Amino acid sequence: MDLSEVVSQCLAGSQGAWRTLVDAFARRVFNMAYQFTGSRQEAEDMTQEVFLKLHGALPKYDPGKNFQAWFLTLARNHLIDEYRRTRWERSQRDEFDERVLAHAAADGPEESLADKETKAFVWEGLNRLSPEMRTVIVLRDLQGHSYEEMAGMLGLPLGTVKSRVNRARIQLARVLRDTEGGTS
Amino acid sequence: MTCERIEELLSAYLEGELGPAERAGIDRHLAACPGCAALLEGLREATAVLAAVPAIEPSPALLARLYAISERKAGKKGWLQAAFDFLNRPALQPVYAAFTVMLVVTSFVLFHPEGQAIRKSIDVQLHRGFGTVEKLYAEAGSLKGELGEFTGNIVRSVKNLELLGTREDKQ
Repeated sequence: MDLSEVVSQCLAGSQGAWRTLVDAFARRVFNMAYQFTGSRQEAEDMTQEVFLKLHGALPKYDPGKNFQAWFLTLARNHLIDEYRRTRWERSQRDEFDERVLAHAAADGPEESLADKETKAFVWEGLNRLSPEMRTVIVLRDLQGHSYEEMAGMLGLPLGTVKSRVNRARIQLARVLRDTEGGTS
Repeated sequence: MTCERIEELLSAYLEGELGPAERAGIDRHLAACPGCAALLEGLREATAVLAAVPAIEPSPALLARLYAISERKAGKKGWLQAAFDFLNRPALQPVYAAFTVMLVVTSFVLFHPEGQAIRKSIDVQLHRGFGTVEKLYAEAGSLKGELGEFTGNIVRSVKNLELLGTREDKQ
């Protein structure tokens, strides 16, 4: 599928081309948003914001560039900014952990019990990290970005990114060990 | 190596980013320190758990909302685009320029601290201008009269020339 061609059809007003873009990227953007927020509802809202932003930004897209890389950068930057913007509000929510766990456990009958348990376990651990720590874990271990890419996205020196990822993993390991110790 | 130093290097150790000497130093420390060995195991488990997080599917309701973005924007764009195109016509540019100049002059006159004095001086200038124009108009009228008279004299002189004079005499 030539995405540049799809984009030019979108710009010409083709609804079918827009549906093609949504079908190609909705799942990926939604999962990225879910990894940051840990909430299905918030992830849906953020995904919609990302696609609204994409629709507005399409005329600025340079057809010579890789569309997928361009769009995913736009999406990721938006998600990181939103996550940073709302982190104070997020930290004030006492019910956040419970809500996230309830969502993780209610994501559909097609998911296996093991999947639900893994997800609930991870979200519980991630939600006990500070937003800075959670952001680097999501980017590195859930989304698989290189340290260099992360340094560019976050505007931080490479060494800071590496040490932050290491500290975040150590914190997560301790949280998971405590949780496991508490539940078993 | 101290436990703090080992903690700092655990991710690099797991990702194979260390040189042989540093790696060997950590191995020796881990063999002798159960706390750091347990932490390394915890780190391994945490990254494995993260890697095993399953992807989730967006709901049909979300997809429907995403599909609708284009239709909604297309409706809005049609109306807005028409208004923009109308206002952006090149023919309207002199109008905008004149309006801007008028706006600047008006606001200068109205809001300048010495606005009243300026308005008075503009009135005086305008009256003077009117007076000058009237004077010029009157002078132009008298000039027209003089010109008419002068033309009459010339015609009469030409008629009185000898060549034409005979014709005049004949009549």
